[in-house]
Parts: sequence; structure tokens; C-alpha cells
Amino acid sequence: MTILRNRVLRRVAETLGILFGVAVFVFVMLRAIPGDQITAGLGTEAAALTPAQRQALEQYYGLDQSLVTQFFSWLGNMFTGNFGYSARSQQSVLELTLHSLPVTFELAVFSIVLALLIGVPLGMLAASRTNSVRDAAGQVVSLAGLSIPAFLLATTLLSVFAASFGFNPNGQGFATLVDDPLLNLRQMLLPSLVLGFGIAAPILRTTRTAVLEVRSNDFVRTARAKGVPERRLQIRHVLGNALVPIVTMTGLQFGYLLGGAVVVEQIFSVPGIGRQVLLGIQQKEYAVVQSTVLVIALAFVLVNLLTDGLYRLIDPRVRAS
Amino acid sequence: MSGLLRRSPIGLAGVVILALLAVVAVLSYLGLLPYDPVAQHPPARFLAPSGEHLFGTDQFGRDVFSRVAAGVGNSALIAVVAVAFATVVGTLGGLVSGFYRGLADGAIGGVTNVLFAFPPLLLALSLASVLDRNWFTIAVAIAIVYVPIFIRVTRGPVLSLREIEYVKAAVSTGLSRWQIMLRHVLPNITSIIVIQVALSLSWAVLTEASLSFLGLGTPPPAPSLGSMIFEARSLVFVAPWTLIAPGAVVVLLVVGLNLLGDGLRDTLDPRNRGKR
Amino acid sequence: MPRGAFSAVGIAAALSLALTACSSSSGAPSGPASGTGAAGGALVVGVTSDPDTLFPWKATQFQAVNVLQNLYGTLTEFDKDLNVVPGLAESWETSDDGKKLTLKLRQGVTFADGSAFDSKDVKDSLDKIMDEKTAAVARASLSSVKSVEASGPDTVELELSGPDAALPANLATVNMAMLSSDDTEEKLNATPNGTGPFTLGKRVPSQSITLTRNDKYWGAEKPKLASVEFRVIPDESSIVSAMQSGNVQLAVFNDPLVAQTAEGGGTIQVAKTPQLNYHALQLNAQHGDLKDVNVRLAVQCAIDRKQVLDTAALGEGEVTGPITAPAFKSDPNKRPCPARDLTKAAEYLAKAGKSGGVTIKTIVSQGEYATSVNEAQNLKAQLAEAKITLDLEVLESGAFVDRWVAADFDAAVALNGGRPDPDGSYGRYFTSKGNLNKVAGYSSPELDELFQQGKATTDQAERKAIYEKVGAELENNAAWIWLFAGYTYTATTSGVQGFVPMASGSLQYLRTTSVG
Repeated sequence: MTILRNRVLRRVAETLGILFGVAVFVFVMLRAIPGDQITAGLGTEAAALTPAQRQALEQYYGLDQSLVTQFFSWLGNMFTGNFGYSARSQQSVLELTLHSLPVTFELAVFSIVLALLIGVPLGMLAASRTNSVRDAAGQVVSLAGLSIPAFLLATTLLSVFAASFGFNPNGQGFATLVDDPLLNLRQMLLPSLVLGFGIAAPILRTTRTAVLEVRSNDFVRTARAKGVPERRLQIRHVLGNALVPIVTMTGLQFGYLLGGAVVVEQIFSVPGIGRQVLLGIQQKEYAVVQSTVLVIALAFVLVNLLTDGLYRLIDPRVRAS
Repeated sequence: MSGLLRRSPIGLAGVVILALLAVVAVLSYLGLLPYDPVAQHPPARFLAPSGEHLFGTDQFGRDVFSRVAAGVGNSALIAVVAVAFATVVGTLGGLVSGFYRGLADGAIGGVTNVLFAFPPLLLALSLASVLDRNWFTIAVAIAIVYVPIFIRVTRGPVLSLREIEYVKAAVSTGLSRWQIMLRHVLPNITSIIVIQVALSLSWAVLTEASLSFLGLGTPPPAPSLGSMIFEARSLVFVAPWTLIAPGAVVVLLVVGLNLLGDGLRDTLDPRNRGKR
Repeated sequence: MPRGAFSAVGIAAALSLALTACSSSSGAPSGPASGTGAAGGALVVGVTSDPDTLFPWKATQFQAVNVLQNLYGTLTEFDKDLNVVPGLAESWETSDDGKKLTLKLRQGVTFADGSAFDSKDVKDSLDKIMDEKTAAVARASLSSVKSVEASGPDTVELELSGPDAALPANLATVNMAMLSSDDTEEKLNATPNGTGPFTLGKRVPSQSITLTRNDKYWGAEKPKLASVEFRVIPDESSIVSAMQSGNVQLAVFNDPLVAQTAEGGGTIQVAKTPQLNYHALQLNAQHGDLKDVNVRLAVQCAIDRKQVLDTAALGEGEVTGPITAPAFKSDPNKRPCPARDLTKAAEYLAKAGKSGGVTIKTIVSQGEYATSVNEAQNLKAQLAEAKITLDLEVLESGAFVDRWVAADFDAAVALNGGRPDPDGSYGRYFTSKGNLNKVAGYSSPELDELFQQGKATTDQAERKAIYEKVGAELENNAAWIWLFAGYTYTATTSGVQGFVPMASGSLQYLRTTSVG
């Protein structure tokens, strides 16, 4: 019992440590990028400000305080649920995040599902006979997924569908799953296809390797010798045991998608959390970027913990010990 | 290595592609290209591909083939330097972390975890805009993103090697920790590192292309594959060859590196041996 | 592990799109106009970003200005040819010594919240704009105003330190919007309250902002559209797609290639208008070798501007002198070396004692607008043939602005905003007391005197002659190298009628637009 409790405590402390590191890092990085909220808003017009005007603006944006004060008052406020305020959107960062996080989450779930639907069967097929035509086909698909940049695929799909078929649900205002589920699903289709295709590649490769490895194990040979039907053998014994690395890879990709879907969000006008960070960087809205990055980091760590948990659940070896 | 590669047709395909591109890159280093890649000839704008200009000319009348060739050279240089840096720093970090454990492990692990949890979008933008811009600092920025990956990849195997009998035996002979690490541990993880290097090279090429594409890469007029794509993005209806040529070459380069990586993995990775 | 490959591409593309997105926000519109349509409709305008502020006195972002212009009113306005016409002030009169401007206000105008607009609001607004604590961007345009008096409910008197012919034009920008004296910046950021043709309907941050018709608008012609939605679609080519599928009816582009793509499909009409904004190689005459006028003239003579236009912007634009406003336009053929002349460039360099060549550190912004880096590359190639080395420093837009604001450069490749009145455009740069003089890097007693004269006379023909001299003075001394002005492209789908594009890029004629 105490061992378990200690382990949980250690995990929590570790997580807090990571988040603090991220907080320091994002704070420093942001301030190292040239420009501030004043020049971001006014552009070259900022040169025309008188010193008194500049001072008034610094006070308005809270830039007149020392960096240490800025850092700790931000971090302190985070604990009380005050994530800061975005003057541009006239909303608190918490509100903004509550709108954008679910959108990205939904997009990530769809993308992962599509990636698994493409990657796992193809991976198994490729592994079923190495160096065969099937294997080569799998290789080609995964190479394409790794080598075709997402922005290229996204813009091509969007313009082809809009110009040739008049299909462009993303040109309508964004609808959430609650507002208009049908429109929402149509708006998610192309973005998750693009993301899913990219992620299918690593999943395909992981599946192939894992399946190959499992198949070379004795228990598969034994099962086959015992006359277990091939289909059942493949799914129950081989895939079941190859699941661990696949799940690990899926978790990793999912965590990454939470912060990394920006390109696709941008091209398809999906108001997700990645775009929130990007807009924050452009406008140098420090509070928006800092708090949102921390939320993304937290989500990333949580997904990793979850993957770990799942891993324990499905890995027969871990279960046994 | 050639022997190993002969057993892997995939790796061989990769080597052939890369050799082809390497020849082109070497020609560009030696200044043996058909045209000067930065010289402008406005009267010869937007010429379609022909015998004279293999890949046509761009909006400044520059020869696209020569620019692509020089771009391959630049991109390769940056990728190689970046990966070399990441390999050395990351492997050392992984060795120390796995071998010494304790405090060093904690510190290195902490930094790695933070870098992993940090959205790479922000990391790349920050590094690229904070540092002065030339090919070397770009290589360093890319390297920093990849260091944690090398640490992760090496630390695990080092941890398990540490427990193996002959390493323990080496400890008892009174060799210093560094001697053990370099003589007994490092040779046993080289295959893992070699595979990782090949794969990282392909990512580094893409990252460099991407940074240039954003305008955060190699400063003009020196050609880089990414900046060529960036400049040509809006020309796709006017002069498609300005986009297709560098785009295809980036994909070719990345495919070549990936194939090589796969080939190496198939032949070097102990887990894959004897499977074929 | 694949994280590496995937993320790298992701990051990159994301940023590039982001950058293109901002670049498109700095320009101006133009467009097709046809007869006045019947009634109403709901129009969707595609924009790449939503306003960064809803407070008119601080808005400089293109998208913000376009939205706010439809919500707020100004004392004077520009018509479609950029002449100053009455707005909230029905008429105005300058005293004989030029030291007093009396404005007669329109009656029966109300704010969106229903309260009446009167002279108290005008005095209060102007006083606050002049107060440094407000940090209003148009403060310097009122530098000749000593005090403001509300001498009656519909009369306002401006006491001036001297004649200022540019003042009526200066009052026409949305940065001089008239606010109710009861409002504060905080209140207005959440709920705009103006006298414009539209009022704020609904806002979803980063996604859309919808305006609804103001039925109490004072204009003789009431707005036709029931509502206008500015819908945020971050990528310009995605806007084109949205127009092709009929989800968006109007958009303004700066990139000629995007405009070409839009036109290609056949369902979208594109009209182009020459911009007031101009592309220039700014020289800093207080730095290094450029202090010598002969070096600057050498640069001027070594550049073929048409070639810059052709290579960097595919010929979409016009070679221009300093003044781009239609009523005062400079003649680019009157400058020294109107055509490239390398012999002359060499002579000037010899005169400066720099026959061996000079090196000029040049800053270039990447992402601010589409053509910057291409211009820089062509300029570098051209100048190299005259032994002038441009040392290019390509900077991310935030870094560029920092360096520009600090005047930390020998030369800068820039796209600057032109204004309908030449005093508004250049007074702030090239008079020794101008608030941007440090950045301009050049001033002279002659120019100070000329700008003074330009303000002191109201006669149009006389003013034109004076600003011609200003233009000549600037180019004879090669203060900067003016290159060309581009076009803006207004794209509309078939049902849109009555929209008039303006050289300033303004969307003020949404009030006469309808969609069928």
C-alpha cells in the first residue's frame, strides 16, 4: 500500500516539476522573442508614440512590472483559476480554453481513430509476408505519410473539394458538436483525414514491427501447432500481444496532436487550442500563450500517464508481475 | 556496412537515391553547376523546362536546377551538422543519465521531460527568432529539438547494460566509469544510435525545409529547398515547375533517408536479425 | 519517435500560414461595383483575422479599422475619390488668419445606445485624443490644435497655433472617431457605441464578428444590408475556396496570385484598385556611408524600378514617386535617373570617394507582406552590379518592427502606408520635428519650410505645386528610394451589388452594398 502511495506521490511531484519547468521555459522564451504587445498591436506606428504614451500603454498591459513579479503573479493566479485575460477577445483565457480545448480534443480523437483504421490493418497485412507486394504497399503508404507535408495535403484537399465538388463545410461558420452535430462532423472530416494520414505512418510501422516480433515467439508456434484457426490466431494471439507498443505510439501521437494540429486548424478554420497559442504569439498576449501552453503540457502529461495505465492493463507481462 | 546493406534491398534503394543526390550536392560545393544559383537574368523569367534549363527558370530568371542542386547541398549540410550535434550531446546525456543515475539522471530526465511536454511549435519559433540567423544557428536550433530524443533512445539500453555481468565485471577490475562507458557500454548501443541518426537526418531535412518555408531558415538569396518552396507557393499557376522541382527533391531526399534508416534497422537491430 | 518528422512539418507550415495571414491584413481593398441593388440581405466578408481591438483610437490593424469604420462616425469623411466631405460635421470654416476652425455639427444624430450626439461629445473626444495618457495613435495629427471649445450645442471651435490645411483630412480617419462623453475605453472594448451605419450584433472571438444595420443612421441613404458578418478564415486560399463554394461573398486580397486564382474559377469577379501604400527602400541618411548624398544618389541611379516590380510582384502595380494620393500624385519620370544608369551611379560613387564600393546593412521583414523578400533579392542583385553591396538581414516581423522603431538600420525594405493628404503622409517623416523623423533619417530646412507652406495654404492648386517641390526635394537628395505601388483586389460573388472599392482600402461603402 505504501509503495503504491509513494509511487503515486512521486508521479504527482514529477508532473508538477515538469509543469513548473514548462512554465519557466515558456515565460523566458516569450520574452526573448523580439517585440511586445504594444508593437504587435501598433506595428511600425509604435515609432510615433511619445514616451508618455508608451508609458501609459505599458501600464495598461502590465508590462511596467518587473519580470519576477510578472512571473509569480501569473503563476499564483493560475492556482486560483485566474488564467489571465485576453484584451483582443474580450474573454478570460479560461473561457477561451474551455471553448478551444474540446474542439482540438474532438479533432484529435477522430484523427487517431482514422489513423488506427488505416495503420493497424495495413501494418498487419504488411507483416503477414515480409518483402512481398503487401509489405511494399505498406512501406509506400507509410513513406508517403512521413514524407508528404500536412500543409500540402490539406490545401490540396480543400481546394479540390471546394472548386470541383462545391463541398466546403469549413467555409461556413464553425459549429460545435452541440450546436449542430451534422455540420460539425462534416467540418471535421477533411482535417481529421489529413492528420490521420500523417499519423497512420508511425502506427503502421509500429504495428508491423510488433507483429513480426510477436509472431517469432514460441507461444504463437505452439498455438498454431495446436490447430488454433488462423484468423483467431492473428487477432487474439498476435494482435493482442502486439497491442502494447501500438498503444504507446497512439498515446504519444494523441498527446502530440493536442498542441500540434495548428497547421490543419489554420487551413480549415477550426478554432482549436493550437490556433489560440498562435494568435497569442502573434499578438504577444503573454498571458494567453503562457496559460494555454501550460494547459497543453498538462494534457500531454496526463495522456502519457493514461497511456502508462493502459499499458499496465493490457501487457500480460506487467500484469503478471 | 555494405555487406549488411546488400541484405536489405530497401536500404540499397535508399543508398542509391542518396548517392545520386550527394553527387549533385558535391557538384554544387565545387561550383560545377550549369548556372550560378543566385545570378538573376530578368529577361529569362519563367522559362519552362527545356534542354537549356532542365527545371526551367524562376521569377528572377534564375536556373531552377542549379538552385535545387545548391539547395540540396545547403539542406544536407545543415541536417548533418544538426544531427551530429544532437547525437553527441544526446548520447552523452543518455549515457550519463543511464549510467550514473541518481542526481544526474534526475536533472537530465527533468530537462528532457520539459522539452517533450513543450509544444514544438513554440520551441522552433522561439529558437529560430531568438538566435541570429545563419546556417549554423539554424542547425543548432534544430539540434536542440532533437537532443531529448537521443537521450531517451540511449538511456534505456544503458540502464539494462549496466546490469549485465561483463560490465559489472569491468567495474570490479577497477576501470574508471568513463572508461567503462566508452569501452564497454557505448559499443553496445552503436547500432541503436546509427539507426536513430539515419531517421533523424530525414526529420532534420524536413525541419530545415519547414523553417525556411516559414521564413525562419537560411536567409536569401542562398537557396534552400524550403525557401524555394516558400517562394514558389503562390507561383503554382504561373510556373508550376518552380514548386514541383524543389518539392519533389525534398520528398526524394526524405524518402531516401527513411529507406536507409529502415534498411539499417532491419539489418542492425538485434531484434530484427534472423527474421528473414 | 515519429513526433520528430511530423512535428517539424507541422510547426513550419503552421507558422507560414500564420505569417501569410498577417501579411494579408496590412493592405487595402478594391472591387467591382454595379448599380444599386434592391433591398437587404446578409453579407459574409472573408477576413484572415479578427480585430485586435474594438477601441477606435488605438486601432491600426487593417481588419480592426475596417470593422470599426462601419460602427463609428467621424467629423469629416472621404468620398470614393478621397476628397474630404462632411461627416458628423455638416460644414466647417477657417478664420482669415487660419488660427480658428469652426465646425457646424449635424443634428439629430444618435449613438447606438440611443443617446444624442452633440458638441460636448466632440470636445470630450478631441481632448482625450490629445491627452498623452490615452495613447491615441492619431494624437500627432492634432498637434496644431491648442484648445477645443463647445460654443453651442451644434458648434465646436478649434483654436490653432497656426494654419493647418491638412486638419480636415486628418479628422476623417477612424482613429479620430467621435465617442460619447459617457463612454470609457473599457466599456467600448466590450460594447462598441458609435454613430456609424451598423451596430455590433454578435461576436465570437477568433471566429466571427457580425454587424447589424443601424436603422437610425443619419445618412440620406440608409444602409441596405440587414447584416454583415466578418468571418475569420485564416488562410487566404481557404477564403477563395469558401467563395467558390458560396459561403463567403466578399473578400479583399493583396496578393496578385491569390486574386488570379480566385478569378480563374469564373464564378468570382475581381476588381483591382491602385493602392496609396508604397514600396520603398528606406535609406537612413544619418548612418555610415549613406550620410553622403552622392552615395544615396548612386543607389538611386543603380536601380531599375520596373525590374523590381516585374520580378517581385509580377508587374502588378505602378512605378511611383513619393506621393501616391491621386490629387497630388508625383510624376516618376521627373526624378534624377528615371531609368537605370550605371555610368551615373559610378560617377556618384566616385564623387563620394567610394569607387571601390560600399556596403549597406539592410533589414527586410519576412511575413509582413508577400513581396518584401523578393524585392530585397532583386535590389541586391541590381545594386551588386554597381559595386553596392546590400547586406540583407531577413527578420521575423516582430524583430523587424523593433529595429525599424529604433531606426537601427542603414536601409530598410518597407511597405509604408500612404494617406490621402501628403502632409499626413510625409509631414511626420520628413520635418525635423516630425514624430517619425528619427526613422526617416532625413530632414532639411528646405523641407521644413515647404511643409510649413503646405499647411498654411488652402488653395488646392497652390498646395499641389508645393508638394511637387517636396517630392522633388526628397528625390533629388535621394532621401529614400521610392519603388512602386501595388494593387488591392476586391473579390465578390455574383449577387453582390453597390460596393465601391477605395484606394485607401476602406470598406466604408459596405453601407451602400446589397446582396441578392
